[in-house]
Amino acid sequence: MSDTLKRTQLYDWHVAHGDVVPFAGWEMPVRYTDIRQEHMAVRDAVGIFDTSHMSRFWIRGPQAQEFLQTLTSNNVSKIGVYGGQYTTCLNEQGGILDDLTLYRVSEEEYIWITNAVNGPKIKKHLLKNAEKFEVSIEDRSSEVSMVAIQGPSALHLLSKAAGKDLTDLARFSINPVTLSGFECYLCRTGYTGESGGEVLVLNTPIDSDGKQRAIAFWEGMLELGEEYNAKPCGLGARDSLRLEAGLVLYGNELDESTSPIEARIPYAVKFKVDPHYLGYDVVRRHKKEGGIRKTRIGVEMIDRGIPRPQYDVSFKGSKIGKITSGVMSPMLSKGIGLAYVKPKTVEVDDVVEIDIKGRTRRARVTTWPFFDPERYGEHRTL
Amino acid sequence: MTEGTNVIEGLYYSKEHEWARVEGDVVVVGITDFAQHSLHEITFVEISEAGTVLNAGDECGLVESMKASSELYVPISGEIVEVNAALEDAPEIVNESPYEKGWMMKVKPSNLDEELKNLMDSKGYSDFIAAL
Repeated sequence: MSDTLKRTQLYDWHVAHGDVVPFAGWEMPVRYTDIRQEHMAVRDAVGIFDTSHMSRFWIRGPQAQEFLQTLTSNNVSKIGVYGGQYTTCLNEQGGILDDLTLYRVSEEEYIWITNAVNGPKIKKHLLKNAEKFEVSIEDRSSEVSMVAIQGPSALHLLSKAAGKDLTDLARFSINPVTLSGFECYLCRTGYTGESGGEVLVLNTPIDSDGKQRAIAFWEGMLELGEEYNAKPCGLGARDSLRLEAGLVLYGNELDESTSPIEARIPYAVKFKVDPHYLGYDVVRRHKKEGGIRKTRIGVEMIDRGIPRPQYDVSFKGSKIGKITSGVMSPMLSKGIGLAYVKPKTVEVDDVVEIDIKGRTRRARVTTWPFFDPERYGEHRTL
Repeated sequence: MTEGTNVIEGLYYSKEHEWARVEGDVVVVGITDFAQHSLHEITFVEISEAGTVLNAGDECGLVESMKASSELYVPISGEIVEVNAALEDAPEIVNESPYEKGWMMKVKPSNLDEELKNLMDSKGYSDFIAAL
């Protein structure tokens, strides 16, 4: 495999306007100005992210639904045309190969959108398993760019670009729509805890014309977004936003030795499915009978400090687990984190100790999101 | 001048990007412009308490940014006599003023003359960061 870092259609814009760093085999913008400002733009207004580094596979054929059900843990038969779902792809031991979003764009055509870091692995997995089915797998990652538009004003901005009201689109739907003259699929999804969409901009291959088109779309959205105080946002804000929302990240909370039940993403797992998917038996046992090896918790610092991956978590002096993600929450101005601990050792509001490089610091066990869901996030009411 | 390359004459510098300034019988210690610029958006600073006695090169605190956590090392041996309390509530001062308001601690040195020889002067440090 080549060591060369890959670049998205928007790379030239990122280099001219932001700090570009290596991420999961790609050269991606970590920030344009300030991670906290970009983070708050998404909580208060709207932020625009390049997510073209993720992999996009088109899966077509008369057996597409059956094929996908053998490989994913949610109920594929529940996805209607122009619908979608969050799901996981498991190994035989019920460990997570990847978490993904699956959309259906016609009777026999689905789009599988997966983490950048797992793209090559999942492509192999799909191709290998497709041999027994009447399906075709097409990797269109380099022909279609992807831009996430997130925040309380995101759907207003997208409506403006479409010239029609898109604010009532169903969550997880995928919608063919023309945005500022560009043919797109608009997915009513995202990974920031806020409302908004993820846009597949069609006909934007990685050549000079495609790049120009992708940059024109991106700059057009920023310009239309000016009245909503839209900001371009990098991967730094993407990470702090997903973490504040309590959303899991592959490589931190998810890996091949962790089941979706241990990760506490039960909404990605269904059992009344036919055929059974790879890993079904283990996940069903975890859900119905127990036998999980660990469970995910949230922590909010009481003392000063920021929990970071690999820090030990203890309760009443005994080590019970490790931090997997942590950040200074821009909303709370406190350190927050996610951790895996032994099952049934702590409950919400228990006080645990975190070993921050030799200093013992107290944190409270919490649920997520970490922000006040009445005032922020997709389900805000105030 | 490009961002993050400001080096002040008259200070002593470590390879870990701390600076030391001799002020009478104490030494003021902080992190360099290069360090604050590399870290970007400092969100948290924790420094060992006053009274702590350290050897040159010992870890004496943590500097956290939005993206990473870095250890702070004391460039000279001695006893910490004061830490910059302002950084507890406003760690971003280190980004804004790394050599002045963003100082981190004052140390009463125990072997100053000998140890200053192990640190770089402004010219040496400028060359050092230019080669990174």
